[in-house]
Amino acid sequence: MSECEYARRLSAYHDGEVSDADRASLEAHVRQCPACAAELRRLAALSHMVSRLGLPKMPAQSVERVRRATDAMLMADLGRMAKRFLAAAAAVLLVCSVWLWRSEAAPRPAERMPLWETAVATQQATLATGSEEQLAQWIALDLERKNGHD
Amino acid sequence: MPADSAHLGLADAELVRRARQGDASAFKDLVGRHAARLLAMAAALLGDAADAEDVVQETFAGAFRGLRGFEGRSSVKTWLTSILMRQTAMHRRGSGRRAARLLRAEAASETTTGAASATGAADARMDVAAAIQLLSPEHRDVVALREFEGLSYDEMTQVLGIPRGTVESRLFRARRQLQEHLKAYLP
Repeated sequence: MSECEYARRLSAYHDGEVSDADRASLEAHVRQCPACAAELRRLAALSHMVSRLGLPKMPAQSVERVRRATDAMLMADLGRMAKRFLAAAAAVLLVCSVWLWRSEAAPRPAERMPLWETAVATQQATLATGSEEQLAQWIALDLERKNGHD
Repeated sequence: MPADSAHLGLADAELVRRARQGDASAFKDLVGRHAARLLAMAAALLGDAADAEDVVQETFAGAFRGLRGFEGRSSVKTWLTSILMRQTAMHRRGSGRRAARLLRAEAASETTTGAASATGAADARMDVAAAIQLLSPEHRDVVALREFEGLSYDEMTQVLGIPRGTVESRLFRARRQLQEHLKAYLP
C-alpha cells in the first residue's frame, strides 16, 4: 500500500468525491507515483469485488414478517386513536351531564300571575273575615271583571 | 400483499405525504417498496438475518412515528436509511460488544489469513463477506453505504450524522483493512 502523502485522498478520488482542483493535482501525481498508481488499481479491484458481492438476498418470508409487523403496528395505532377519541367523547358527555343536572336543580323564578288573578286571590284571602254584603259585592265585581276579559 | 393500485406510480415523497395525512395504505406501500432493500442492508451490517428483521421493524416504526418530521430535504430512501443506521447502532449497543467480537472471531477463523482460498467465485465471495464482517461497525457502515447503496459522501453525512471529512477518513481506513484481508485477490 502506498504510504505517499497523497495516498489518503486516493479513496475519495476513486469515488469521484474530490474538487476539480484536487482531481487535477492527484491525477498529475498518480502519473508520476507508481505506488499511488498501484493503490488506485487495488481500490478499483476492491470496489468491484465488494459491489459484486452485493447485499445478501433475504428470503421472502423475512419481508413478509416485516410487512405483517408493520400492519400490526398500524392497527395498534388505530386502536390507540379510537380510545383517545372515546375518552374525549366521554369527557364531553360528562361535562354536559353535570351542566344539565345543575340547571335542573336551580330554583325557578316565580311565575308572574296575571293581575286580575292576583286581585281575586287577594280578595279570596280576605273573604273569611268580610261581611256577607261585602262578599256579594266582591263576587259581583269579580264576575264583571271576568265578563270583561271574555 | 399487492400494493394499493391507487398508489402505483406515485413517488415516495407523495406516499409519505399521504401517510402523514392518515393514509395507512400509503405507508404500507412505502414499506413494500423499501423492506427488502433495508433488510438486506441490515443483514450486511449486522451479519444476522433475525437481527436484521428486528432492526428493520424498528426502522419502520421509527419512520411512522417520525412522519411529521420528514421535511423532504433528503430523499425518502436516504431518510429511511438514516433511521436504519440509527436503529442498527442502537441494536449493536443493546446486544453488546461481546456478540460483535464473537462474530468477528468466527469470521476470522473461517478466513485464510491473506492467502487465497480455493479457486472459485463462491469462495471469493465468502472471503469478501467475511472480511467486511471483520471491520469495525463504523467502517462496515461506510463501506456498505458506499459500495452497496451507492450513496454519495454528502448523502452519507446525512445518513450517519457525521462530517464529510469523517466519512472520507473512515472509508480510507476501511478500504485499507479490506485490502489487507483480501490482498490475495488484489493486483
